[in-house]
Amino acid sequence: MIPHRKNAGSGLWKELRSGLRKNMSLPSFKFLRPRSLRQAVDYLARHGNDLAILAGGTDLLPSMKQKLFTPGYVMDIRGIEEIQGIHVRPGAGVEIGALTPLSAIEDSEFIRRSYRVLHEAAMTVASPILRNMGTLGGNICLDTRCVWYNQSLQWRRSCGFCIKKDGDLCHVAPGGKFCWAAFSGDTPPALLCLGAEVEIAGPSGLRRVALKDFYTNVGDARMKIERNEMLTRVFLPQESVGWKGSYMKLRIRGSIDYPLAGVAVALKKNGGPVENARVAITAVNPAPLLVKGAENALVGKQIDEHVAAVVGELAAKMAKPLTTSGLTPEYRREIVKVYAKRAVLAAR
Amino acid sequence: MSEFSVIGKRVALVDSAGKTTGQGKYTDDLSVPGMLTGKILHSPYPHARIKKIDTSKAEAVDGVVCVVTGPDAPNKYGILPVGHDETALAVEKVRYVGDNVACVVAESESIAERALELIEVEYEQLPAWFDPEDSMKAEKDWIHPQRPNNIEKDYHHVFGDPGKGFAEADVVMEHRYIAGEVTHAAMEPHCTLASFEIDSQTGQPGRLTVWSSTQVPYYLQHKLSIVLELPMQQIRVIKPLVGGGFGGKSEVIPLEIIAAVAARKAKAPVKITYTREEVFWAHRGRPRTIIDMKIGAKKDGHLTAVAAKVIQDGGAYCSYGVVTILYSGALLGALYDIPNIKYDGYRVLTNKPACGAMRGHGTVNVRFAFESQLDEIAAKLDIDPAEIRRINLLKPPCITVNNLRVQSYGLPECIDKVISRSGWHERRSKLPPARGMGMACSHYVSGAANSIIRSDMPHSTVNIKIDRDGGVVVYTGASDIGQGSDTMVAQIVAEVLGIGLGRIRVIAADTDLTPIDIGSYSSRVTFMNGNASLRAGQDVRKKIAAAAAVKMNCAPEDVMMRDDRVWKRGTAEPATNGAHAEQMLEKIDAPRGSVREVSGRVEGQTLRGSLQQKRKDEGPKDSMSFEEAVVSAIDFTGALTGTGSYAPPKDARGGAFKGAGVGPSPAYSYSAQVAEVTVDEETGEVKVHKVWAAHDCGRALNPVSVEGQVIGSVWMGLGQAMQEEMVWKDGLLMNPGMLEYKSPSATESPEVECIIVESVDPEGPFGAKEASEGSLAATIPAIANAIYDAVGVRLREAPFTPERVLAAIKAKHSEKKALDITRGDDPVTPTTFREHGGSLWFKGKGPQRHADDPSRRA
Amino acid sequence: MKKELIELRVNGRKHELAIEPSELLLDVLRQELDFTGSKRGCDDSSCGACTVLVDGVPTLSCTMLAMSCASDEQDGPDITTVEGIADHGALAAIQKAYGDWGGAQCGFCTPGFMVTVKALLDRNPEPSEEEIRHALSGNLCRCTGYTQMYQAIKAAIEAEQANR
Repeated sequence: MIPHRKNAGSGLWKELRSGLRKNMSLPSFKFLRPRSLRQAVDYLARHGNDLAILAGGTDLLPSMKQKLFTPGYVMDIRGIEEIQGIHVRPGAGVEIGALTPLSAIEDSEFIRRSYRVLHEAAMTVASPILRNMGTLGGNICLDTRCVWYNQSLQWRRSCGFCIKKDGDLCHVAPGGKFCWAAFSGDTPPALLCLGAEVEIAGPSGLRRVALKDFYTNVGDARMKIERNEMLTRVFLPQESVGWKGSYMKLRIRGSIDYPLAGVAVALKKNGGPVENARVAITAVNPAPLLVKGAENALVGKQIDEHVAAVVGELAAKMAKPLTTSGLTPEYRREIVKVYAKRAVLAAR
Repeated sequence: MSEFSVIGKRVALVDSAGKTTGQGKYTDDLSVPGMLTGKILHSPYPHARIKKIDTSKAEAVDGVVCVVTGPDAPNKYGILPVGHDETALAVEKVRYVGDNVACVVAESESIAERALELIEVEYEQLPAWFDPEDSMKAEKDWIHPQRPNNIEKDYHHVFGDPGKGFAEADVVMEHRYIAGEVTHAAMEPHCTLASFEIDSQTGQPGRLTVWSSTQVPYYLQHKLSIVLELPMQQIRVIKPLVGGGFGGKSEVIPLEIIAAVAARKAKAPVKITYTREEVFWAHRGRPRTIIDMKIGAKKDGHLTAVAAKVIQDGGAYCSYGVVTILYSGALLGALYDIPNIKYDGYRVLTNKPACGAMRGHGTVNVRFAFESQLDEIAAKLDIDPAEIRRINLLKPPCITVNNLRVQSYGLPECIDKVISRSGWHERRSKLPPARGMGMACSHYVSGAANSIIRSDMPHSTVNIKIDRDGGVVVYTGASDIGQGSDTMVAQIVAEVLGIGLGRIRVIAADTDLTPIDIGSYSSRVTFMNGNASLRAGQDVRKKIAAAAAVKMNCAPEDVMMRDDRVWKRGTAEPATNGAHAEQMLEKIDAPRGSVREVSGRVEGQTLRGSLQQKRKDEGPKDSMSFEEAVVSAIDFTGALTGTGSYAPPKDARGGAFKGAGVGPSPAYSYSAQVAEVTVDEETGEVKVHKVWAAHDCGRALNPVSVEGQVIGSVWMGLGQAMQEEMVWKDGLLMNPGMLEYKSPSATESPEVECIIVESVDPEGPFGAKEASEGSLAATIPAIANAIYDAVGVRLREAPFTPERVLAAIKAKHSEKKALDITRGDDPVTPTTFREHGGSLWFKGKGPQRHADDPSRRA
Repeated sequence: MKKELIELRVNGRKHELAIEPSELLLDVLRQELDFTGSKRGCDDSSCGACTVLVDGVPTLSCTMLAMSCASDEQDGPDITTVEGIADHGALAAIQKAYGDWGGAQCGFCTPGFMVTVKALLDRNPEPSEEEIRHALSGNLCRCTGYTQMYQAIKAAIEAEQANR
C-alpha cells in the first residue's frame, strides 16, 4: 500500500546529491512495526508525510528498488491482528481485513460460494507465491503502472523521467501534462461489481467510502486517501451474496503478469431474467471503472449472445487504453469488448 | 547384458545434489577476504561523445577505493579476431543506452551505488541509428569509423546456378519474414570475481585469478591477457557453477574485463554482479532479422533453388556478428538436398546493445522463414507437409552444394517417428475447428570445424590421473553450464575404463588445472570434448590393460574391463558391481575399530603391502579388481596418467571461399517436430497443446540429459514463437526485466514429447552428436504452420502475439469494420523493419519526444 | 543508517545479527548467514529463485525485509531455506527425484523450486498434474521447459508413498 505522492521534479537530484541513493537495493529508511491499529494511526499522524505502508510488499519493495519511493519511514503493518482475515457477518455480508492475503481469498470456500467474481479475480493475481504475500488492501491501493514509470532510476534518467515521477511530461501522450498510468489491480473491478465499501483509518477515526468513490482516475494521484490515513477493511454487502460472477484477464503469461485488460461481471439472477448486474473493467484506465449502462443493458433480460455483445460494446467504450503496457491499445480495447461479452455469458 | 554399462543409462547429473540442496556454489556465492564491490555507471544516451569525466567527487566518498574509467584499460578486444571493437569502459564514445562508462570500487554495494551518482560525465550527443535499414544508408556519424555505412560485414554467396534453378521451377514463392529480437535471460545474472595475488619473488601484484560465470574460460583468459597486457600464464580463470548460458556467456562480457581492471587499480579483490537490467544491456542475444526468402520447386515437390537476403540488426558492437550472419547462410544447406543457393547477408550496426550468439546461433530465424515458406509451397502443390520434406532429403554420405560434409543423417527417421507419434495422418484432418497441426524440421552443427582463432590447435584436450586408491580424476576444460558436460565426461571415461561413476571426480574449467578446451558454444562439447575424453580414457586404459595382462598371463587385447572388474577374455566374468557393492556395505557396517580386510576400497598405505602379500599368495589369476589392476600398472609404469585430444578432421572443414569457415561441422544433428495448437479466432490467442520433437543426437549418452536439452530447446523456441521479444524505443529497452520480458511460466508451457533418434555418427564419441540447440529452430515454424493449419492465416512475423494473429485473421476475413489493431503496420506482410523492434507497442516511429524532453536538454 | 540488532530463526536455529532496516531478507540470508542457496535472479519480484518458506508459506525473500521477520515481543516466523530441505544429511525425496529426472539443469532456479514443491507436497501430498503446474507457476526456469520437473515430482510422491 503505497501512499500517492506528487513529486517535484527537482526533488530527485537534491536527494542524489545528499548521497542517499542506491541502485538496485533499497534506499535507507527507519522501520516501524505497529502491533495495533491505534499504534499505526499514531505513527501515521507523526510521520505520514514521509512514510510508506508495507503490507505484502510485492508492489512497494520492487518500486523502492527502482527509487520510485524513498520514504523516510517504512511501516510494516503485518503485525496488526485486527485487520486480518475474512469475517462473515451473518445477514450483513462480510468484512475482509485489508491484510488478508490474496491466497486466503482464493482458498475461502465462503468467498467462492458467495462472491464468485471476487474469487475468480483473486485467483488470477500475479503468481501463487505473490498471492501468498500480496494482500487485498494492497491490491486495492496498487500503484498505477506504466512502462515509462516502472523502471530503474538509471533507465528513467535515460528517458528524462516522466510526469508521474521526477519529470514534467508524459511519454505516453507526448507533450501531455496528464498522467495516464494504468490501474492494474485484478480484485478492485470485482469488488466494484459487488458494491464494496472500504474503511479508512486516520487521525479523526474511521470512515467508510464506497469503493467506486475511492479512485480518482488520474494516474499520478490515484486514490482519495490522505497521507496520514490507511485502508483497513473491505465490506461486501449482503445484497450481493450469491450473485453469479466471472472475471476475465488479458495477459501474456498464464501467471506472474499484471493484467493488460480485465473485465469483471456480477449478475443477480435466479433462473429467470437478470435482476441486477454490474460490469467493471481494469488495466485500461487510470482507475478500475464500472461500465456505464451495463446494468440497464442486462437487467430484465435473458442473457444471450446479443445482450452480451451489447455489454461488450459498452465496456469497450469506457476503455481508454494507451501505450502504458505491452500489446497495443487498440488490441486491448478490442479484448475488453470480447472479454466483457464472454464474461457475461460465463456468469449467467 | 547391454553393449554398454554406463553409456546410454539414465543417470543424474554428477553435480545435481549440489544444485538441489543449495550447496553448489555459483560465482556470486563466492567471497574472498578483503573483497570489494564494483558498480558500473552506464550511458544514458544511445550515441554520444564523452567530452569529460570527473570522478573526483565519487572518489572522495568515504569507503570508495577507486573509480575506473576507459583510459585505465584502453586496449581493444572482441570475441572475434576480426571484431576487436570493444574496450572495458568507454574510451571516446558511448554507443548504446547502457554502454559502460565508469566503475566505482567500494567497500560495500551501497557506498558504490551512492558514489556512482557523483560521477560527472559531459556528453556530446550524436545522431543515433536504430533501424538497420536506415543505418545501412548512413553517410556519416558511423558507430565505428572503420565500418562505413554501419555495415559490420556483408557476404554474397552463390552455390550452383540459382538463376537456372528458379527458371526450372514450376512454383516460386517469395516473402519477407521478420523475427523479433530475443535474449537468453539465463536465470543467473552474470558475475565475476577478480583477485590478484602477490608474487613471492617480486613482492608485487602478480598472478590474477578470475572466477566468472562464463561458457568460455579459455577465451576469457585470452582477452584478459590482451586488455591487461599480462601473459596468459599469469591469469587463471575458474568457472564455478554457471546458472545457464544459452550463448549469453559464450564471449567475454564487459563486467569480466572491468572486474579485473578494477581489481588491478584497487589493489584488492573485486566482485561485480549484474543487476537483471544490466544483463539485458550486456545482451548478446539473437538479433532481429529480416529475411527475404525465395524458394523454387518443381510440381513433384523437388526444390530447385533457394535465395535468401538476410539483414541482422546487430547492435553497437561486432560480438559474434560475423559468425551469425555466416551461419544464417551456411545452414541453408545440410538439411535438405538443395541444388542451387544464393545468399546475401548483411550484419548491420545500430545504437543498441550488441547481439551475439544465442542457442541455435544464426540458423533459427532463417529456418523459420524457410520452413514456413516450404509449408506454403506444399500447400500450393497440394503435397503433404511431411511428404515434401521427405522428397527433398539428402542422400548421405555426401557433400552439400555449399561444401558441408554430411555423414550420419537421422532426419528421415525423425520425420517418420514424429509423424507416427503425433498421429499426423490419422488426427490432423479430424481436428475440431480452429485447431491445427504443423510440422517443421531443423538441424545444427556439433561444434564448428574451424575455431574462432584459426589454428591447428586441438579444440579439446582431456587429461586423466589415476592413483593407487583407484580414484579416477578427469581434468577437462569443458564448461558445464547446466547442460551436463561434467556428467558426459564422467560417463565416457567410466565406460572406457569399465568403472562406476562413483569412482570418477571431474575437475573442469580451471585454466591452471585443465587443458585447453575452447568452450561451451556451438554445441561442440559432447562431440569434441567427448572425443578427447574417450581418447584420454583409451590412453590410460591401455596402460592398465598392459599391466593386468602380465598379471593374468594374457595378451593386453584380451583384458576385459567392466563394472569395476578386470578379467581375461574367455574366462567367466566375475561378480558385477551389484555384489561388490553389497560386500562394501557389509564392511561399512562393520563395528568401529574392527580390522578391515584387504580391499581395493581400503585407503592408505596398508593397501600396497597387503596387496603385495595377496598377490604373492595367489599367483596368476583370471580376474582382479580395478584397484588391483591400477596398482599393478602404477608399479609397472609409475604415475598413471592419460591424455587425449580432438581436432576436427580436415575433410570436415568446408570450402575455400570467403566465409567458408563458418557452417562446416564434423556432424549435424537433426530434428523434426509437430506442434498442435488452437487459435481463438475472436481474440487471436494461441494455445499450444503439445509439441512432439524427434531429435537425432547420434547416440544418447544419457537419455535424461538429451531429453532435457531437446525439451528445453523446443520450449525456448516456443518462447520466441509466442511471447518473447525485446521492445525498443529510441534505443531504450522498454522491457529490461523478467516481469516484462515474457519468459514462459509453467502455466502456458505445453507438454513436449521428446523422441530420441540414434543415427550413431561414425566420428562422434560412441556415435554421439549434439542435442542442445538443433531442436530450437524447428519449433517456431512448426507453430506458424500449425496456426495456418488451424485458421488459414500465415504469420510471417514472430512472435505470434495475439494482436498479430488477430490482425491476420481480420485481414483474411477482410472485415470492413475491422478495428485497425496495428494502425497501419501490417503484421501479415511486413514491409519495413520498424525502428522500435518487431513490437507493435509503438506505431511507425512511435511518439515523438517532446521538445522539452529533459533528455534532450543540453 | 544505524544498524539494529535482530534475531532471525532460520532452518530451526536462531541467529542474532546487526542489520540496516533496509536490508532484504535475501541479502541477509546470503551475505550475513552464508545461506547462499537462495538466489537473486531478477529485481522485480518475478522469478522466484529466492523463494523461502516463512512459517511454511512460500515467500520471495527478495521482497521481504529482514526486519519484518525479526523477533520482537513475539517470536519471528520460522524461515526455511533450501538448505533446510535436506533430510537428516541426505537428499529429501524431491531433491533426489529432481536429480534423477532432470528437473535441475543449470540449477540456479532449483532452490526456489525445491522450496515451492516442498510447500505444495506438505499441503497436498497427492496433487494432480494441474495442481502441480499451478503451484510451480510462480517460479521461472529457463532450462527445462518444466516438463521433467513434473516427472520428478511424480517420482518423489511415489517414493514418499513407498516409504510410508
